[in-house]
Amino acid sequence: MHRFLGNIPPSLKSQSGEIALPLIPRLQYEITSLRQEQQQLQQNLQNYQDLLEMAPVGYLQVDEENQLLWCNRSAREMLYLQRWQPGQVRLLLELVRSYELDQLIEQTRDRQQSQVREWIFHPSVDSAAAICEVKPLALRATTLPLAQGKVGVFLENLQSQLELEQARDRALCDLAHELRTPLTSIRLVVENLQTRLEPPLDRLVHRLLQEVDRLIHLVQSWLELTQLETNPSLELNYQLVEVRSLIAKVWETLEPLAQREQIQLSYSGAESIYINADETRIHQVFLNLLDNSIKYSPQKGIIVVETKILDSNQNCNKKQSTAPSLEINIIDSGVGFSEADLPYVFERFYRGDRARSRPKQAQASSTTIAGTGLGLAIVRQIIHAHGGSIKAMNHPLTGGAWIQIILPGVVVNSQFQDYI
Amino acid sequence: MSETASVKALIFDANSGRPQLTREIRRLERDILRMGALVERSFRLSHQALFARDLKAAEELPRIDKQIDSFYKQIESDCAAIMTLQAPVAQDLRCLSAFMQLVRDLERIGDYAKDIAEIAIKIFPYPPHSSLPEIALMSRQAQAMLATSLVALADLDEASGRNVKQMDDVVDDAYEYLYQTLAHQKDVPGAVEPIVLLVLVIRYLERMADHATNIGQRVAYIVTGKRG
Repeated sequence: MHRFLGNIPPSLKSQSGEIALPLIPRLQYEITSLRQEQQQLQQNLQNYQDLLEMAPVGYLQVDEENQLLWCNRSAREMLYLQRWQPGQVRLLLELVRSYELDQLIEQTRDRQQSQVREWIFHPSVDSAAAICEVKPLALRATTLPLAQGKVGVFLENLQSQLELEQARDRALCDLAHELRTPLTSIRLVVENLQTRLEPPLDRLVHRLLQEVDRLIHLVQSWLELTQLETNPSLELNYQLVEVRSLIAKVWETLEPLAQREQIQLSYSGAESIYINADETRIHQVFLNLLDNSIKYSPQKGIIVVETKILDSNQNCNKKQSTAPSLEINIIDSGVGFSEADLPYVFERFYRGDRARSRPKQAQASSTTIAGTGLGLAIVRQIIHAHGGSIKAMNHPLTGGAWIQIILPGVVVNSQFQDYI
Repeated sequence: MSETASVKALIFDANSGRPQLTREIRRLERDILRMGALVERSFRLSHQALFARDLKAAEELPRIDKQIDSFYKQIESDCAAIMTLQAPVAQDLRCLSAFMQLVRDLERIGDYAKDIAEIAIKIFPYPPHSSLPEIALMSRQAQAMLATSLVALADLDEASGRNVKQMDDVVDDAYEYLYQTLAHQKDVPGAVEPIVLLVLVIRYLERMADHATNIGQRVAYIVTGKRG
């Protein structure tokens, strides 16, 4: 009102020449029109608020002290905010004790930047029986910094999406199970046929056998992957494994393939590093990775394998982890991953664009893991089961595909003791 | 006159005449609830580590425990600073002194969660013990107690604060029963380590439940001024 009055004199001056209304009626007129405008705005505001209230995504807003100012129906359902009454101002933490949400809001305010985060929300319950009943929710929150330290948060319920994904994986797993038995029978029949058929036809059966083998391999890889995923660490049979000789052993199996293309392996790093791991699984990791490297390397290419022991004090300051970790780099001399593929190379059935997939048709079918699209997914799952991590990059110098594995639990040979 | 309402009004009413103090206590409450949420999370992770054999969860705990510790130190010194600088009286003072002890309880629960995670790593190679489902139930009960005590704190609800004590009886009984089961197990196949570790687990869970009970009692104390 004050500001409005302050604005009067100039407007009076400017308009005095055109309409000569007396001061009081003009003021009255202005006041009525302002009131109307205000009503209009209020109506708009109400509309927006009603819309937001009914929105299919959750929305909530907190003030600079993280007190809940408002939230819509979806947000109340997702976060179990039934205790909250409109108009009541309470700390968000009093109503929803979600550390993740609170932290996200703080970050948004500090950085003055929109943040996105996904996490599993566990509603708080007051009895042991209810803990089993109340389902945790997969949520995605997108925050927005607002004026005066306020923060708005959009919430999406990802639970149904997550459940769909799980249902899909289960269905595929069931399918794989169902396929395994008939495939084995088919293989037996084909094997039988092979010996009985005459030359022109037996070539066809030979090809049939190869394809059946490929299918069996695919089904088995899928089942193995699913098993690794549902039970990541149960299946591991830990023992001391010497990395250098393991890699050499894997290379021996792949040698025939490599020789055909005159590809060489160059190993650098310590001679004897022992890790605590499941030997057959780690064997498979190197088999899949080196097989890939051979497939994507040009003739006379060199595949570089480096091992490095990471100083444990450097990368983590936890008290317990005294055992250092092992970094393994495998770099081929091919063209590398395409930038667009990089985030997805470990996904099931993901194959890079046409340029990279199956560059050498003739060879692909003869390798052990030929193009199931599961090789890298299995590798990642095995590494994760060992508590390690894996990254795919392109080498900055050579441009070749670069897989970096970090495995914990290195038991170092005595010659390295003085480094630690 | 209803005491509950008046305390709440005094603590949370910005018109109580000491807006500065009110604001600072409110901020403290927020930090405590934040710490509480973190402790709840670490409890949940320890449960996951032990009963779902999730080693990722176990590895996350030492880091969270450090965060809990720094919350604890910061809240304690904030409490002391307010007490000396603002000279609060009556309910405000009760509130602050209860807060100081309450964060200690929370911090202890966080410590035990970390200990359980360490046990989860040690017990990992052994086959799951037959008592595990019952221990999981005990852990859920203790978690529910922590949740109830934190809700009581958020609402300053005396009744549900005292209610935690009743829930504690269930946990105590479970402890007694599980102790007997584990201690008197005969013909132990292989090493005794898993049994020793599980006895430690139920001991820790029992202590965590006790600390949750304490939190509930302290909430009741803030509200009524009586120690129960």
